Amino acid sequence: MTEDNKNHGKSHGRDYGIQTTSGLGVEGRKRYAMVIDLRKCTGCGSCVVACKSEHDVPLGVWRMWLKTEDKGTYPDVKRTFLPRLCNHCEYPICVRNCPTQATFKHEDGFVLQRFNRCIGCRTCVIACPYNARHLLPNHRTDEKQPVGVVDKCDYCIHRVKRGLVPTCVSTCVGGAFTFGDLNDPKSEVSKLVKKNSVMTLKPEIGTHPQTYYIGLDEGIADQVASYRHRSAQMKEEYNTFKKNHEGFHGDLTEGGSHIVVQVVRNFLGFLKEIPAKAGRVLGLGG
Amino acid sequence: MEREVIANAFHHVTWGVPISIYFWLMGVSAGAHVISGFGWVFGLKKYKQVGLIATLWAIGVLLIVPVLLIFDLGRPERFFHLLTPGYWHGSAPMSWGTILIMLYPTMMIVYGYFIFKNNAKWAFIFGICGIISAGSTHWYTGVVIQLNPARDINHTALASVLFLLGAFISGTGFLIVTFWFMNIFVNPMRRFRDRFRQEGFAYRFLKANSIGDKVEDSLVVEMGQIMAIGVGIELLMTFNEFLQMNYGTAEEQASLFDVLLGVARVPYMAHVFIALVIPFFILIFTPLKRSPGVVTICSAMVCTGILGMRVWWVLGGQFLQTFF
Repeated sequence: MTEDNKNHGKSHGRDYGIQTTSGLGVEGRKRYAMVIDLRKCTGCGSCVVACKSEHDVPLGVWRMWLKTEDKGTYPDVKRTFLPRLCNHCEYPICVRNCPTQATFKHEDGFVLQRFNRCIGCRTCVIACPYNARHLLPNHRTDEKQPVGVVDKCDYCIHRVKRGLVPTCVSTCVGGAFTFGDLNDPKSEVSKLVKKNSVMTLKPEIGTHPQTYYIGLDEGIADQVASYRHRSAQMKEEYNTFKKNHEGFHGDLTEGGSHIVVQVVRNFLGFLKEIPAKAGRVLGLGG
Repeated sequence: MEREVIANAFHHVTWGVPISIYFWLMGVSAGAHVISGFGWVFGLKKYKQVGLIATLWAIGVLLIVPVLLIFDLGRPERFFHLLTPGYWHGSAPMSWGTILIMLYPTMMIVYGYFIFKNNAKWAFIFGICGIISAGSTHWYTGVVIQLNPARDINHTALASVLFLLGAFISGTGFLIVTFWFMNIFVNPMRRFRDRFRQEGFAYRFLKANSIGDKVEDSLVVEMGQIMAIGVGIELLMTFNEFLQMNYGTAEEQASLFDVLLGVARVPYMAHVFIALVIPFFILIFTPLKRSPGVVTICSAMVCTGILGMRVWWVLGGQFLQTFF
């Protein structure tokens, strides 16, 4: 890690503008990372529930979720789990592509979102290889919560800055999650990364994710396999979800309504939202 | 080994049809503007009579774009953040695009003014600026979608070239269809024009836009031939892209067989056959290419098919990623 820090200030061939730290971590700063030991994950979903309640994440979007896969044929079947969250990349594409600097790379390694700057253009959602970002809906039960902006996992920075671990880490019953400073050789994460064979998701994208997995199964981490090997129930749920989720009536579904119908429905949905949005532009609320 | 994903989050295709339509309109506008430049920048006399109306169409079509873009935002009341110092982000393609989208219509308006004034020198200067800004604005629409390594269909250097060619052919096709309409209603339009005094602004404006004058058939046929060349190059590029995906990585193959030939096959086939293969064959290999009517039908096909291309490019490009 110290070798990496010597390169601070030099770009490793990637420099994403004025907000980005270069090299792996910043000298003299922390480099927060998470290691998820999938051998210990029981798939209980408590991390997802804790995250949902900690951040009041609305229905239909996730800061963190649990991907589950069965492999093998009865009676030799194994169920594998993959907790998914923002990877807090060293070279985040979302930061590079954000036109208003709403998202930025914190010197301690967090990739954070500033709601007051975000215009909701979703460029970062398109850019993120890990699906870690989502647009918050226009209507929230709690009116104080942000609407119409992009949200993501922030490694619970509000807890970390007070000396606590992120809520998913503290709630994990199997002790699969470990969080800490990779720049500190004595930290638990440093030891885990050194002692184990760790993997990241989609390393070929070149984002240097800071969420590491131990015992990652290649099937569950593969994008094409994730698409092709969905259960019949998943396909049905997916279509139902897409058709019923407000503001996304035009998402492509399989075996459902025809794409032309979906395209028209998507555009009509957009037109329906214009009056309320126009009211907001003119300062009339809405 | 048998696998089955039984639980995952459902992610959305976040850029929808409004963005596809924006790409299409931007393309039509840029293409129309380039055709306008044929007369006043490249000195082809035949195109001078349609220079102003082509530019006005390019500006008119562009007026819809801010509505689509601003109201597609989650927080439309904050759109000015895109232009505010301290917010503007130099590494983001959308930041470049914001400037280009504002620069391009400005150039066109000034250029249109000099055409109306018949000032060849300044029309030439601003025509060049306009063509460069038209090209770069539509180049940007390709770039904003290609600089996303996570989206396998979009992440190709051909994206911006395909977008530019699509712009040129759809803009040309759009103008040919417009000229057909103008020729149908040429007599009522002339009667309307002649109601004004000849030295007045209204008459001069309508005259400068060829309102009430017949657009020559030879011009339409020639534009059809120019469009056919663009269609041919676009067809080659699309075939290259098809070949690349066919011989590509697992993601590229899935993008081709599961998305482009799967869920998004209707817009993809519309692009390949309606916009490219059929018009190209008719306009290059058959004697029908000399018929203004057939050229007009082919132009309408190209214009519609390119809309299909924008749809598969935007919606289809995001589809596979949503399951990861």
